Amino acid sequence: MSRQPATKHPRPMRKPVSRTPAWVTPVGVVAAVALIVGGFLLVRWYTTPQAAPPLTPDASQLVVDSLASLPATELDSIGLGSANNLIKPVSGPALTGPSGKPLVFYFGAEYCPYCGAERWPIIVALSRFGTFSGLKTTSSSSTDIYPNTPTFTFHGGTYTSQYIDFQAVETSDRNQNALETPTASQQALVNQYDTSGSIPFVDLGNRYAFAGAMYLPDVLAGMSWQAVAGSLTQPDTTQAKAVLGSANLITAAVCRMTADQPSSVCTTSSIQAIEKKLG
Amino acid sequence: MRLQLLALLASVAGAGVSIYLTAVHFVGIPLACPTNAAINCEEVLSSSYAVVFGSSVPTSAAGIIWFAVSAALAALVLISRSAVWSRLQLGWSAIGLATVIFLVYLEIVRLGVICVWCSVAHALVLLIFLVALPRQQEGRVGA
Repeated sequence: MSRQPATKHPRPMRKPVSRTPAWVTPVGVVAAVALIVGGFLLVRWYTTPQAAPPLTPDASQLVVDSLASLPATELDSIGLGSANNLIKPVSGPALTGPSGKPLVFYFGAEYCPYCGAERWPIIVALSRFGTFSGLKTTSSSSTDIYPNTPTFTFHGGTYTSQYIDFQAVETSDRNQNALETPTASQQALVNQYDTSGSIPFVDLGNRYAFAGAMYLPDVLAGMSWQAVAGSLTQPDTTQAKAVLGSANLITAAVCRMTADQPSSVCTTSSIQAIEKKLG
Repeated sequence: MRLQLLALLASVAGAGVSIYLTAVHFVGIPLACPTNAAINCEEVLSSSYAVVFGSSVPTSAAGIIWFAVSAALAALVLISRSAVWSRLQLGWSAIGLATVIFLVYLEIVRLGVICVWCSVAHALVLLIFLVALPRQQEGRVGA
């Protein structure tokens, strides 16, 4: 039996190797991630609300008048709404204004979106104790978070009341150029009570103080001043719950400063209930 | 295997960043971060998106867990060289990358500002995912 010649073992086959170089997959992943991020930037750019041109003085005053004439029944029905109660009791010598009345002191800046959001409830609340005039419309910075939030500026405005005094310092305009400088005593208040360094900062007669906004500015995103004012006349809107809830909190704190004067404002059931929560 | 060492180091670095941000949240240690129109760590970390599903647990705490698991997987791949651990590492890092893309969406589209520390952690997750990607086998193999 002849031996079969030993079969030659075939050389191991080379598994077909992909022609795709090894670096292609990781580079593809990085490129895909970069494309997604680019897409996000594009979406952000398209959805960023544009700043509307400021209203004329007459049109601005109409909006302010609308805020001052909101029905007390509507404010009462909203209570705290969706507002985040930031008001904290503070201790210190009673803070009074030039006329000797309890002083509400506001410290903020026009570029700041949180200041922009908080000015609305401040105007609504203080309009229940007095009258604003000469307020101009503006928008928060177009390059900061919550860009172009519609608001007012207290710079150049006046406030008169038989119950309280109001002082405001807007440190910068919406482009972050210097605007107003606090006096030494105002700066001392900020240093003492605004320990977080956040703006807006509001001192309510050295009895209460708060820093920041009681609701997020995106509640007002993309709206005109008139649209915001219009939404506040309807208690079911997101804007009414946020702005008027915040206004009620400020109103209750001011009522504590004025010994519940005027009674038409301070003795309503919701303000009384909020006063109890303030401590 | 050098790449797995890189994944291990990236995981340790990511855990360090996450621990720092969690300490900022709970202990209130100072947050070292530049602030301008595009970068604002404070805004991002104090936003409603910086906590897990409306709880008081910061997202960075979840980051600690993710990076710890990632470090463990990289170590296991290094030691055992098992395909099972490699696949688990790929799956785990894919989950991490998907989460990172969602968080970047929140930063850019919803908040309009970027947190530098978060971006460092995001870049580390991407790096770990790249390491976990299957590499093509070249050369002779048995029949």
